[in-house]
Amino acid sequence: MLKSLVCIAIASLLTAATSYAAEQGRKVVIYDGVATEVTASSEPSNDFWVTLKDLKRATRFVVKPQGICRDELCFPIPKGKKTEFLSKKGSVTWFNLSEFARLVKQPVAPDEKNRVWYFGKREDERGTHLASLEAPNFTLPDMSGRTHSLSDYRGKKVLLVTWASW
Amino acid sequence: MKGKNFEIISIAQDTGGVKDAGPWITAAKAEFTALIDDKHIVTQLYNMVNVPTAVWINERGRIVRPNEVGYVDNRYKAMHGVDAGPYLEAIRDWAANGERSPFLMSEAELKERMKPPSPDRAMADVEFALAEYLYKNGKGPDAIPHFKEAQRLAPDNWNYKRQAWALSDAERDYGTSFMKEVQKLSGKPYYEPRKLPEVKKQN
Repeated sequence: MLKSLVCIAIASLLTAATSYAAEQGRKVVIYDGVATEVTASSEPSNDFWVTLKDLKRATRFVVKPQGICRDELCFPIPKGKKTEFLSKKGSVTWFNLSEFARLVKQPVAPDEKNRVWYFGKREDERGTHLASLEAPNFTLPDMSGRTHSLSDYRGKKVLLVTWASW
Repeated sequence: MKGKNFEIISIAQDTGGVKDAGPWITAAKAEFTALIDDKHIVTQLYNMVNVPTAVWINERGRIVRPNEVGYVDNRYKAMHGVDAGPYLEAIRDWAANGERSPFLMSEAELKERMKPPSPDRAMADVEFALAEYLYKNGKGPDAIPHFKEAQRLAPDNWNYKRQAWALSDAERDYGTSFMKEVQKLSGKPYYEPRKLPEVKKQN
C-alpha cells in the first residue's frame, strides 16, 4: 500500500516536472505571419536561439557555407562573427535568430510572459513597391471565405478603399 | 460606375473579422468586392494611418494616386468636414478617361508622396501584430501593453489607436476615447487634406 502510494507520488512529480519543462522549453515564433512552436534554448540570453531544424521549420532559412539562405536569397555571415550566429551544444547546433534579425534590420517584438516572438519585415522587404510604383499585392477573403488577390484584377482600374467597423 | 474596366475593392481593417465587419457589408448590400483584413495587412503594406484611405491603381497594377482620405459619400461630413463631391467627380473622370485624366499624379509627384515606413513605424507594425495575435489567442489583457507601444511608436496612426480602443474599454485600459482624441485636435483636420488639381469643366 505504502509502496504504491510512493510510486504514485513519484509518478505525479515526474508528470508535473515534464509538463513544467514542456511549458518552459517551448516558444512561439511568428515569421512571415505564421506562428510555429519551437524548442527554446536553456541558455540564459536575451537573444532568441533556435535549433537549425526549427530555423528551417519556422523561417525556411537554412545555414549554408555561403550564408543564411532561403531559396535564391542569401545573407552572408559577417567575417569573424560566426560564433555570434552559431553555437554547438553537444550534438545540437543553435542559431541566434535575434542576431540574424539585427543583421537584416528586421524589427522583433517579444512577449516574455506568453513566450511569443514576432518577427517583422526585413529592411529589404519594406517599401519595395516605391521604386516600381507597383501596388503591393495581397490575398484576402470576402465574407463567404473566398479569397481574392489584387493581382486578379489586372486589366481593370481598381479603386482600393479601406474602412472599419470601429 | 462598376463596369468592365473599373472595380471597387473595399477592405475592412477589423481584428474581429467577419463578426465585426460582416453586418456592415450585409447592410450595405455591397455590389463591389468587399474583403476582410483581420490582420491589418493592407494598413501595413500601404503604410496607411486612417480609414477610409483610398488608392487608385491602373490596369497595369501601378499606383496612380496614393493614400488619401477616401470618403465617397457625405454621411459623416458633419464630423470630419471632408466633402466627397469633388472626389467622386475625380473618380468618374478617371473611370471615363483613364491615362488622360488630369487627376492622375506624375511619377515625380507619386515618389514625393510615397515614403518607406520609418523604423519606428516598422517597429509599431510588429508590436501591433503581436498584440493582435495575443488578443486572438485569448490574452486580451496581455495585448494591451503591445497595443500601447504600437501607438507610442506611430502616434499619427489612427488605425492602430482606434482598433485597440475598440477591443477593450478604452477609458479603463487606455485612459482615453476616440471622441476625446478628436477634441484634443481642437480644429486641426483629422484627415490630411486631399489635394485634387483644379480642373476646368469642359462642356
